Amino acid sequence: MIDIRSLVGDEWAEWYAMTPAQRLEESSKLWQTYLELGGSLDPEPDPQSPFYDPEEWRALAADGRAGVRLVRRGGI
Amino acid sequence: MGGQACVLYGAAEFSRDTDIVVVADADNLRRLQAAVNELQAESIAVPPFERRFLEAGHAVHFRCRLPEADGFRLDVMSKVRGLPDFDTLWSRRSTLETADETIDVLSLPDLVTAKKTQQDKDWPMITRLVEAHYAQHAQASEDVMVDFWLRELRSPPILIEVAGSAPQVCQRLKPVRPLLEHAAAGSEALLATALRAEEDVEREADRHYWAPLKRELEQLRRDRPRLTPKPPPA
Repeated sequence: MIDIRSLVGDEWAEWYAMTPAQRLEESSKLWQTYLELGGSLDPEPDPQSPFYDPEEWRALAADGRAGVRLVRRGGI
Repeated sequence: MGGQACVLYGAAEFSRDTDIVVVADADNLRRLQAAVNELQAESIAVPPFERRFLEAGHAVHFRCRLPEADGFRLDVMSKVRGLPDFDTLWSRRSTLETADETIDVLSLPDLVTAKKTQQDKDWPMITRLVEAHYAQHAQASEDVMVDFWLRELRSPPILIEVAGSAPQVCQRLKPVRPLLEHAAAGSEALLATALRAEEDVEREADRHYWAPLKRELEQLRRDRPRLTPKPPPA
């Protein structure tokens, strides 16, 4: 049988092996960190989405809160 | 039915909203309105929260203002491309229990179908969802699982393995998924190309489905009342 770990790597293999409740808990921790860092709940602009409205997104972005976007890239 | 469902099944999506599917009948929409009121949620984009828009296949978008959920977005739909009516979805749902709550989500096959959109972000999600299911159940698979994997896997090495271990099921499903020919032959390169072509067909079908709805949304945006800036004081 195929070795999932060798195919997807340790991190994904561990994620797959968790129970739904464990994944929910880990995801909640990530959320907590994101919000403590000042992350916004506004969705990322996605021009591929059928719901995308550039005008709406500009209006939402005016709240000045971070969406935790890349502002500096090191290396490449 | 969105990012949270993906996390529960084994993919990982940092979704900033909650997507729910509802029955768009009058009684249920009254109940939904009561829940929306409780969350102090406001409709934040077109279309407005009206039954006819949900029935047409649109999503209605809310933002909560209740302090415990301030800023949280809620997207409501009653129709999803490729999926059956709510009653069928509900009968097939998965119910997941955590220490604190019980969560009803789309069945995995229905979630995979819902993710077959025109958006780049959804396709790696499908790969992860089915891959995760395979990783969790490969040791003790049932026929229904093998059938699902052969219909939906997008990881060539795993698809080749499943095709090799279940040649009769693979043969039976070739008419509905012709790329299984390459999986049965063990040709990873041809399979990868065919998977991409399969994805392109679905993306185009999704664009076609949304075209009239997008035109309607654009018209609603043009028609909505504008906030005009206050004139400067004299």
